[in-house]
Amino acid sequence: MPTDAQSELAQIQNWMQSFLISPEPNPVKAADFINDSSRLSAARHLNIYRQSYIARLRECMKNQFSALNYALGEELFQMFAEQYLDAYPSNSYTLNNLGKNFPSYLEETRPDAESEEKESWIDFIIALANFEFSLSEIFDEHAEEEIVLADDSAPDEALKLVRVFHLFQHPYPVCRYYLDVVKKKNPELPFEENTWCAVTRCHYRLGLLEINPAQYFFLEKLRRGLSVEEAKIYTIRKFSLDPKKFENLWYMWRKSFIDSNFFHYK
Amino acid sequence: MNKEVSPGSIKNLPNPGLGLGLRSKHFNYILENNPEIDWFEIISENFMDSGGRPKHVLRRIAERYPVAMHGVSLSIGSADELNIEYLKKLKNLAAEINPLWISDHLCWTGINNLNSHDLLPLPLNEESLKHACRKINKAQDFLERPLVFENPSTYLTFKLSTISEWDFLRFMTEETNCGILLDVNNVYVSAFNNDFDAAHYIEQLPHESIVQMHIAGHRNCGDYIIDTHDNFVAPEVWKLFSRAWNLTGGAAVLLEWDSEIPDFDAYHSELLKAKNFMNVVTDIQEFNEEKKYQFEVVSNPLDFLVTDVIHELNR
Ligand SMILES: [Fe+2]
Repeated sequence: MPTDAQSELAQIQNWMQSFLISPEPNPVKAADFINDSSRLSAARHLNIYRQSYIARLRECMKNQFSALNYALGEELFQMFAEQYLDAYPSNSYTLNNLGKNFPSYLEETRPDAESEEKESWIDFIIALANFEFSLSEIFDEHAEEEIVLADDSAPDEALKLVRVFHLFQHPYPVCRYYLDVVKKKNPELPFEENTWCAVTRCHYRLGLLEINPAQYFFLEKLRRGLSVEEAKIYTIRKFSLDPKKFENLWYMWRKSFIDSNFFHYK
Repeated sequence: MNKEVSPGSIKNLPNPGLGLGLRSKHFNYILENNPEIDWFEIISENFMDSGGRPKHVLRRIAERYPVAMHGVSLSIGSADELNIEYLKKLKNLAAEINPLWISDHLCWTGINNLNSHDLLPLPLNEESLKHACRKINKAQDFLERPLVFENPSTYLTFKLSTISEWDFLRFMTEETNCGILLDVNNVYVSAFNNDFDAAHYIEQLPHESIVQMHIAGHRNCGDYIIDTHDNFVAPEVWKLFSRAWNLTGGAAVLLEWDSEIPDFDAYHSELLKAKNFMNVVTDIQEFNEEKKYQFEVVSNPLDFLVTDVIHELNR
């Protein structure tokens, strides 16, 4: 038991919390602190809390990582989630952060951590976990959304990226897989493939779009504050493009970006 | 005695009538249909960090309806000190939406800065009472308003407890001028699990301090009852509610429903049943124990507190 310096209240809370959060063998028995009742023993009373603790937080994890839950299958996901909750108990007043360390936990505990040869499906799982947690943050990040979206008539100089705009690149088709889960298409685990995507939020709705590497490069320049004109010049240079041909390409990009609500009026 | 909070302030709080918990599932329905609900109760933690749709919707709803803020992370009974960062966010949210009042639970959620996200029971004795009252006074001073505390559903009692929960709540109100949120279903659940008389509990409370009542559904697991908030209100709970209504002379009423949440109309019509149990004489002695046993159920479900992005994308 803890020392006298600790209040009785702190002692009992430390004991109960350690039983709930990391239930290792504890010399202090439930019956030492807790009353039996007419129907239940002290141990069963305490057990209701342990069971609820793990079941409730596991459900929250499932909500925060629905696509990962699909990819791993319910059983494996629950096992990882339970181990994670024991290793990284919440220290936040909000549940939004519950899964924050889950991707790094999966990385730390990957079964091939010791071996030279890495199993690629594990890389995919970790990338998906990261992506899903990012989406939950993007959904609720602070941003002014009272904006007027650009339409086809907007001149290039008037185009500005919407305030919530994020770019991702993955060694797997993570975004495509995620969208397939959303659309209930039951995707198979994918093979390695470099992919790029943009995630936007406009009028409080998320938008996900797969893009190509040149588009990623171009949009990244805009994200850093360059104008459309400047970003075009960098893109032409980087990919050694013919400026005239690029104008045709830009015409198509522009249309798809505007349709995807990437731009608002400056 | 607390200097900032004037002794009468809890009694000056309005009775807004019959309210519902604000759940993301119903956001669109409420915004589009402006249903006739007296008021809404929000879970404070769902909105205090939100910079996206939840906050946007809350602002619009708070323009149209009275809103009370109900929290789950104050952890007033924890041996840990108050989390000032949390209190600041609570205060900012209150400044923004001007709530009817702010409530939380007589419980602790964790110690050493951990959070079990559960409403854990306190040993009820002199030490915990003094400690809780000191923290309540400090939180009320910080927030510059009285707080309202709810009796949690409990699944155990401590050998160290020397004070009954109803007396503990009474002493809290006397020492700090805080209010009480009487969760009638929680009284029923705790009474069943811990062998006390639910009606007696309600009779012993300081009725003049009861600002609000909660009603909710539960599940009977055979030798214990779990507070699941996923179900209709049980007949026994309606009877207790009726008794509490008579004793308090009426208070704000809120129906909680957090798991397997029905569509808005069904949720609303369950709330309106409360009218049948106001100002009626019920015989509280004739309790029929429920015989529908349910297993594998979870208390205070939380998953409705986490954003389901896939659901949002399919919206
Ligand atoms: Fe409640």
